[in-house]
Amino acid sequence: MSDEYIVEMRHITKRFPGIVANDDISLGIKKGEIFVLLGENGAGKSTLMSMLFGMYEPDEGEIYVRGKKEHISSPNYATRLNIGMVHQHFKLVQNYTIAENIILGIEPKVRLGGILPVVDIKGSNKRIAELSARYGLEVDPTQKIEDVNVSTQQRVEILKMLYREAEILIFDEPTAVLTPQEIDFLLQIIRNLRDGGKTIILITHKLEEIKQVADRCAILNRGRLIDVLDVPSTSTQTMANLMVGREVDLTVEKNPANFGPEVLKVSHLTVKNADHFPVVKDVSFSVRGGEVFAIAGVSGNGQTEIADAIAGMLEAEEGSITLSGQDITHATVREREEAGVAYIPEDRQSVGLILDFDLADNLGLKNYYRAPFCNRGILNRAEFLRYGKELIDRYDIRSGQGVQTVVRSMSGGNQQKAIIAREIDQDCALMIFVQPTRGLDIGAIENIHRQILAERDKGRAVLLISLELDEIMALADTIGVIYNGELLKTAPADSLTTNEVGQFMMGVKQHEG
Amino acid sequence: MKVNPLKRGFLFLMGDEKRQRISIPLFAIVLSLLAGSVVLLILGKNPLVAFTSFLQGSGLLPKASYAGKKSMLTDFMSLVNAWTPMLFASLSVAVAFKSGLFNIGVSGQMLLSGLVATVTVGYSDLPAVVAKPLVVIIGMAVGAAVAALIGFLKHKWNINEVVSAIMLNYIFRYAGSFVIKYYLADPVSRQSKAINASARLSLMDTPVGDLKMEIPLGIVLALVAVVLVQFLFQKMRLGFEFRAIGANPKAARYVGINVGRNLVVTMALSGALAGLAGVTYYLGYYGSIQPDVLISTGFDAIAVSLLGNSNPIGIIFSSFLITVIDKGSTYMSSTVGVRQEISSLITGLILLFAACGAFFSYLINRSRQRARDALAQSTSAQGKGEQA
Amino acid sequence: MTILNTMIIDGLSFALPLFIMAIGGIYSERSGVTNLAIEGLQGMGAFSGALAATLVSGMFAAGSQAPMFIAMVFAMLGAMIYSLIHAVLCVKFKANQVISGVVINILATALTTFLTSQLNATVFGAPSNKFVLTTSTRFSVPGISQIPVVGAVFTNIYPFELVIVVVALVAWYVLYKTRFGMHLRACGDNPHAVDAAGVEVGRVRFGAVMVSGALSGLGGICFAYSISAQFSPSIYMGYGYLAIAALIFGNWQIMPTLGACLIFGLARSGGFALTQVLGLPSAFSDLFMTLPYLITLLLLIFFSKSNRAPRALGEIYDKGKR
Repeated sequence: MSDEYIVEMRHITKRFPGIVANDDISLGIKKGEIFVLLGENGAGKSTLMSMLFGMYEPDEGEIYVRGKKEHISSPNYATRLNIGMVHQHFKLVQNYTIAENIILGIEPKVRLGGILPVVDIKGSNKRIAELSARYGLEVDPTQKIEDVNVSTQQRVEILKMLYREAEILIFDEPTAVLTPQEIDFLLQIIRNLRDGGKTIILITHKLEEIKQVADRCAILNRGRLIDVLDVPSTSTQTMANLMVGREVDLTVEKNPANFGPEVLKVSHLTVKNADHFPVVKDVSFSVRGGEVFAIAGVSGNGQTEIADAIAGMLEAEEGSITLSGQDITHATVREREEAGVAYIPEDRQSVGLILDFDLADNLGLKNYYRAPFCNRGILNRAEFLRYGKELIDRYDIRSGQGVQTVVRSMSGGNQQKAIIAREIDQDCALMIFVQPTRGLDIGAIENIHRQILAERDKGRAVLLISLELDEIMALADTIGVIYNGELLKTAPADSLTTNEVGQFMMGVKQHEG
Repeated sequence: MKVNPLKRGFLFLMGDEKRQRISIPLFAIVLSLLAGSVVLLILGKNPLVAFTSFLQGSGLLPKASYAGKKSMLTDFMSLVNAWTPMLFASLSVAVAFKSGLFNIGVSGQMLLSGLVATVTVGYSDLPAVVAKPLVVIIGMAVGAAVAALIGFLKHKWNINEVVSAIMLNYIFRYAGSFVIKYYLADPVSRQSKAINASARLSLMDTPVGDLKMEIPLGIVLALVAVVLVQFLFQKMRLGFEFRAIGANPKAARYVGINVGRNLVVTMALSGALAGLAGVTYYLGYYGSIQPDVLISTGFDAIAVSLLGNSNPIGIIFSSFLITVIDKGSTYMSSTVGVRQEISSLITGLILLFAACGAFFSYLINRSRQRARDALAQSTSAQGKGEQA
Repeated sequence: MTILNTMIIDGLSFALPLFIMAIGGIYSERSGVTNLAIEGLQGMGAFSGALAATLVSGMFAAGSQAPMFIAMVFAMLGAMIYSLIHAVLCVKFKANQVISGVVINILATALTTFLTSQLNATVFGAPSNKFVLTTSTRFSVPGISQIPVVGAVFTNIYPFELVIVVVALVAWYVLYKTRFGMHLRACGDNPHAVDAAGVEVGRVRFGAVMVSGALSGLGGICFAYSISAQFSPSIYMGYGYLAIAALIFGNWQIMPTLGACLIFGLARSGGFALTQVLGLPSAFSDLFMTLPYLITLLLLIFFSKSNRAPRALGEIYDKGKR
């Protein structure tokens, strides 16, 4: 049995505080195949491969490489086993040339004039150009990383692995950052690599890509291995069903919708990131009172930027944002808050909270500057404490020392509860939730879902941005699907199936309706 | 997990994060006094006698004998006179630091404030009641303007405040030297001519009873400043915003705080305090300005502020301690027979160990965190076992 | 003509020690460690070197240049050992790099001042706060030095200037051409990439700070020989900070930094020369000394886009964080 597989993982279990990331997973990968790990966010795909690459060690189970049991203690050791990995975040030195990045750590030397050892850049350029040509990577080794696009940077990461003679190549969500054309190019490279005898492991949740290149595919769900399928003989539909079509265990009681007047209107919004690259392109939608408008999309397609632009954290390059008839396109963050925007940000620890402040201060963060929290520039600490206690009781926030607890010491679930309590209590016409349940356990998720719906039923407009399709299907009245910064589809939730949304999210279906 | 008893005892003594704010600086002081003692022992001196004489020299313990019109009180008053600028300077650093900024330009701001006040008021015939307040106001204004510029450069062009402050320090140092040498120099002392007593913030050689002492008026202001800064950070909206920016600028922006404007304001406040340090030093304690030097007070203040945990109350103690070591050194030197420069050595060591404070705290909290994680891991593993 | 010659000769003898200190700073900062400690490091170097020279001076005939070369070696060693404190604090203890630099400067002043007085009093039996050094003999290259203007570069050269040129060449070669240099520069841009390539970030930075110590020390002892022919607390004139201005001006690259140092050096000697020519009081030369800092500050304002600090400068590298 072992002879058949170049990599075999047996009964792998990995726990992190609070969750089991991998639960007794066993699978084998054959030499020279393209093997895909398929699953939603948090299914445990990356964790599993991080263990193969030596970034974590499994709590239980064994890993065999080429039939030999290996204790992979570090990425360096994995490299010695000819295993390479392209991470989601590239690890490149920006002001170095492509060749310099590739040879970093294993620089070849030549002796200048027979005496002085210098790093052999010229020779490396030549070797890398050859290597690049062999697999059709189209990379110019003399360019600097800061001057090339993301797609090229990714190919540099691939070359890094090849240069280190990796035989087993792991790709972690390689297409998440690429345009459709670049994806096609990458998939062709991956095929070339396989044809050159390499073994490829691809981590993804995009079905179309799998269908295009994969030989076999393992489906993971909540840390468990569901099935291993032969891709050519399996339909996309079957894979999709296995990936997301399980019974949704997050059923929420949802009252019939009762829409009020329009609260938020976003017209032709264009937002650029720090590099002046448009990440939100001409997006228009509106949210009514009593409506949950959910934006579905794969991570990094511009959805968080939409939220930031509405909240005033990012500037709108073009277009307008109107709240209850009032133009807030150029208003400051505080003016928007006062006009009625509450915002639960994606990154609760680095944006939503001040971790070194206590709970009372954090709960008062949106009100600290006005009466009764503050009179003539003087803070009323008693009011912070009273208000904090009130919210703790009403929203069941658990903390070691009540309102005086330093927020850093609280659990993620209770930190999120604190943010949601603070924002809900602002009594705003618009509530923006970005990834409100990321990384939380089932109990906390249910609680937050109930609160979101309660806000909707109170007649507030809710803008929900989530990467979890389940969450969107369970809560949304209207769904907008974003892909590559564009809103591809906007429709009532009950007119769409999960799979349809999924296909829009993956950019498979283009511009309908 | 096994922890040896020495380490456990140490961890217990250092206490939780709250207690570490006091225990770690104390640990740094003890460590450096021990190091100082070793040096003294190598030189064949009794450290206890030396440390006692530090206190005697600074008027905290009685000396064996006093010259005419001098007493423990006069020694103490002259200590306070020297302490005042250090207290202001450390407060200045602390105010910036609370907002996450380094004001490494305190020395430069002190120099410019002192110089401007000297030129405008120091030699004028204004009566004391006008001159003294004017000196204070000019000092504050000049310091605030310079530091606000540093804050503005950071806000507008994202120029690192440490870099711009260093550049400004030396611009003032050389330009100041020029002004002093060319316009203000006293031919004998080669530094700026002594200012008029009416403008001076410390009353020198003032007869009180049968004593003659220095009366530093600035200390009253400094103590008021301590209270105000404490009030600012504890009670005021502005201080709350500063702390929020210092702790997490992204979150501060998210809740609607105008981060850019606050950068400028916080630096202006810090600069005003540096300006006060400048006028209480040059127009108070010292009474003149030396060319060609940036006094070390502004740099020492960074570490003194760190030692006092950037807390105004903590800074009262840390700046006092450093001043005692400095002022007491002359007497120590004469009684014990060690070069008085050992005082700056001990000060340097205190500051060095204080700089390691973050590491001590990191080590302690990591040990504590590990113990906690191990506990959580075992209970969660147990929980899983029970479910299965 | 002679004024111009003096200006070039003095400018070079000031610019070169400044340059070698700035290279030290470049090593440290390009590896990602902010180094405000140069001022203290050069003082410690000058002290160590001067002490060594004083100790060995009896062994050589009067006028021998050997003590000076011994002093240079010990200056580099002393400052390098002292720089370990900065390395340990910044790399191992993860202390704030700005605070560490400031504290090291404070401690250097205190330590060298104390030790100088104490050693003079107890070992050499002469209470004094300085070590007097033998004056360094200067030389001119025959022939070339006679060429007008250009010849000044080869006239009245301090021996240390040659040493600096050689050391600077080696430093340039190591930083840009060798594996260590490549790892070092990568650490200041993206330490995660270096770690992923299997190179220990902490070790590289440690080495970088030590190089920075050694080079600062060399700069310090050269200043001690050229400016005052002695070691005294007046060595802490702020030239370490001027070196920082130079390396910022030079955009953290060696050749442009040499340009900055030459500009600074010539501005200084030019200032002196100009005050002489115009018959101005010597105080005016102070005014010219503001120029390097003023230019650097303006440069930062107007070219804030093209002037780029190393990306990871001042960032504490934590392996666990990804």
